[in-house]
Amino acid sequence: MNPGRGFDPRLRPQPGRRDPGQRRIIAIAGVITFGFLAIIGQLWYLQVLEGGRFLDASDKNRIRIRPIAAPRGILFDRNELPLVDNRPAFTLSIIPRELDNRDVVLARLATLLGLPYQELVDAVGRVSADSFLPVRIRRGLTMEDVAKVEEWKLELPGVIVEVEPQRAYPTSRFAAHLLGYVREASEDQMKQGRYRRGELVGQTGLERLLDEFLRGRDGGERIEVDAMGRPIRIVQQTEPHPGAQVVTTIDRRIQEVAEKAMEGKAGAVVVMDPRNGDVLALVSTPAFPIDAFTGNIDRAAWVKLIQDPQHPLLNRASQAAYPPGSVFKIILMAAGLQEGSITPMDRVHCPGHFEYGGRTWKDWKKEGHGSVDLRRGIAQSCDVYFYQQGLKIGGTAIAKYAKAFGLGAPTGIDLGTEKFGLIPEPKPRVKGDKKSRPWTGGDTLNMSIGQGAVLVTPIQIARMMSAVANGGVLWKPRLVQRIERPEQGVVFRDPGQVNGHVELSPVVWALIKDGLWAVVNEWGTGGAAKIPGLDVAGKTGTAQIIANSKSEKGEDHAWFAAFAPVKDPQAVVVVLVERGGHGGDAAAPIARKIFNAMFMEKVAMAGSGGMAR
Amino acid sequence: MIGIDRRLLQNVDWPLIGTGLGFAVLSGITLSSLHVGRAGGTVAFRQVAWFGIGLVALLIVASIDYKKLVRIAPLIYVLGLAGLMAVFVLGRTVSGARRWIVIGSVSVQPSELFKLAFVLMAVWVLTSRWAQPISRFTLLLVLPVAVIPFVLIMKQPDLGTALLLFPVLLALLVGAGIQLRLLGGLALAGLAALPVAWFVMKEYQRERIFVYLDPFRDPLGTAYNVIQAKIAIGSGQLLGKGVSGATQSRLAFLPERHTDFIFAVFAEMWGFVGCLILLSCYAFVLLRGFDIAASTHEPIGRLVALGATSMLGAQVLINVGMVSGLLPVVGVPLPLMSYGGTSVLCSLMGLGLLVSVRMRQFQ
Repeated sequence: MNPGRGFDPRLRPQPGRRDPGQRRIIAIAGVITFGFLAIIGQLWYLQVLEGGRFLDASDKNRIRIRPIAAPRGILFDRNELPLVDNRPAFTLSIIPRELDNRDVVLARLATLLGLPYQELVDAVGRVSADSFLPVRIRRGLTMEDVAKVEEWKLELPGVIVEVEPQRAYPTSRFAAHLLGYVREASEDQMKQGRYRRGELVGQTGLERLLDEFLRGRDGGERIEVDAMGRPIRIVQQTEPHPGAQVVTTIDRRIQEVAEKAMEGKAGAVVVMDPRNGDVLALVSTPAFPIDAFTGNIDRAAWVKLIQDPQHPLLNRASQAAYPPGSVFKIILMAAGLQEGSITPMDRVHCPGHFEYGGRTWKDWKKEGHGSVDLRRGIAQSCDVYFYQQGLKIGGTAIAKYAKAFGLGAPTGIDLGTEKFGLIPEPKPRVKGDKKSRPWTGGDTLNMSIGQGAVLVTPIQIARMMSAVANGGVLWKPRLVQRIERPEQGVVFRDPGQVNGHVELSPVVWALIKDGLWAVVNEWGTGGAAKIPGLDVAGKTGTAQIIANSKSEKGEDHAWFAAFAPVKDPQAVVVVLVERGGHGGDAAAPIARKIFNAMFMEKVAMAGSGGMAR
Repeated sequence: MIGIDRRLLQNVDWPLIGTGLGFAVLSGITLSSLHVGRAGGTVAFRQVAWFGIGLVALLIVASIDYKKLVRIAPLIYVLGLAGLMAVFVLGRTVSGARRWIVIGSVSVQPSELFKLAFVLMAVWVLTSRWAQPISRFTLLLVLPVAVIPFVLIMKQPDLGTALLLFPVLLALLVGAGIQLRLLGGLALAGLAALPVAWFVMKEYQRERIFVYLDPFRDPLGTAYNVIQAKIAIGSGQLLGKGVSGATQSRLAFLPERHTDFIFAVFAEMWGFVGCLILLSCYAFVLLRGFDIAASTHEPIGRLVALGATSMLGAQVLINVGMVSGLLPVVGVPLPLMSYGGTSVLCSLMGLGLLVSVRMRQFQ
């Protein structure tokens, strides 16, 4: 074939001779092969040797996650006034991954804001150093601190100020035990795996009970950033879902009145609707500063709080048991009348003391009450009368009725661990058991006036009193009416729950109510709770602290348990004042204030007391 | 003119064609994972379509006797130069460079097409009677063949494609039997020309050289590409992140990720192992090309095969070298992988030349 025009014949293949061009082509192939090997070497270096570092860089490169905290659900009172609200607050956070020079930045930050350096190191040290999630260092920053951080922003890489919704309370200690405090998840809670670090969790009270409803779903932004950490665009945005709104049974106005009435005293108040078990107010004093938990509570302040001899964290309404004192005489009335051991007309002479078992049993009134029937006995809380009737009724029957009224058993209120209290009862002696002491008449006497081993909680007394008021129904104390989610509507509704019934004949109920009315309205011990125009029925109690032999007057626990109006009971008020002295002096006036606010000032107060939202 | 007899068909290099088309799969998968700006998901589809067109072109080129093509090389070359000049008049400006001519709905990149014209023209000159034996005079004849288009392409500006002409020319000179002494002289002359090149270069091109020498000189500016590409490649590690995990590429940290930097995307997705496979495919094509050149004793066929192979090899080395940070960043697409119709077309036509030479080896 013609090789074409103008080609030199010397270029034509020369069979038999070695082809030098082949060697040159192999050489060129060799050069290219060398290039490939160089590239493979470079890829080995980049991908295998340094791959981890670059992977890290690529993660750091692409995205920063900015969490947007969901506002916690709001708790409303029964009139839809907020009990607790949210307000935006500044939170100081650190993004560990962006801390270029950790020690220097943290030291600067510590100096700038006057924070303990070690605290910062600890906080950052708890998470992985390449975490891109902000670590919350301090909540509730002041505007001044925020300004400082912003001003020094360039010197503080990795330090950011986030805006988070924070709990806001009407007052520092408002309904502290009822609402409970919200605090960052503890190490233990995180171990359970339900909470993330830095997440706010309801730790006590309703905040804890309803935490899964109240906590919203946090949103977040995924922001693509460039090599300098500058946001380029938002890759993905998830809106935070606010927590559910809870309508409680609490009446904020009554709660406030009760708290004000208890100011300066240690004790508890429970206001309950006997018609359905609604808790209208629940006060335990002294209360703790609930707002102090929302930010960062200092370790010192916390220690001070838990070591306070007054135990402000204790919810005295349900977590502390006291001897009921004369309030317990209601149980004796019910037991005696229903069992037929006593009649209303039985009279007892009270000389101020009672001889039994070789001992003198004192009446609270040294001079005695004279001739006493049932009505006068309950009204004036005559101990001698109830000593004698108690012996007639017997310890077993008393215990049976006490238990029927729900004493010595939890009420089921959903506010943390509830104290059971104790109702002692005569038991057959167990042979060989040295601890088993035979039940004596003295035990019955002690029990008859609500002393001895008898222990009750204020919430139990409130439930008992509600049963008296409503004719025997034991309601589980209700705190939550309903829970609503913005998009789903009502997700939970508590229709109320009856967890016991006391069967007494109507005559007995009438007699008890009449007796209790007399306590307040007819020369009774509860005269301090008398309100003209309102029929209040109640019972005082003065509980001696047996354990404290030095106990003197004025160091007894003062009780007053009442309901009103007698004809159509709408509210039960139970007041306990620790070491308040006589129930009639220390507790009844507080109940009076509450009844007064509920029934007499209702119209005048309506519409006020709203919290700025 | 298209004369195919049965003996030719028996010698068609099917493995070479198969490998060439295999790149359609690799390129298509890689591109389909990228959501490139306005082109969207159609990029992969268009690329595969171009492979189809390229296959037809490959077969046409293969069916034509390469000697006839070399014979009309001056004509092709002049047409190519005209195309390069037309860019300045008709060209569409994309990110500061006029490289494309829009014809209907497709944009054509004349500088890509010119690569083939250049190979054919260089072979024409080197095998012409005036060029024998290869001497300084031959160099004088052949250098303008490269320098004229070099200047035109540099003006677009497209440094990568322009620089590509010289290694190919060098390979052809070596293959044509240039004396090693003369080659040394040429190398010295090249070194002497570097300062001149420095003045001809645009500011951004010089900056790229600086950045190559020190990538962290300007981490957000010019070096951004280099750093991001290194991060993408490195983060692929041994086995890669897969298509969905390749955040570096998908999140558009990589510039030019569907064209010049597609290797970084591929490396992030498939890791070191994937890179070895891709490079093996290239190595197979290239070694096959060199084998065709070496086993062809007919000088024109040998040089055509050598030119086509070294053009492909130089592009692969320069592209992967620059993306992996071994070489300064110059705009060279990765043959058969980068998105771009003209590039795919030309690469496949280059393979067509190889097939053509192989077919006619034993005549």
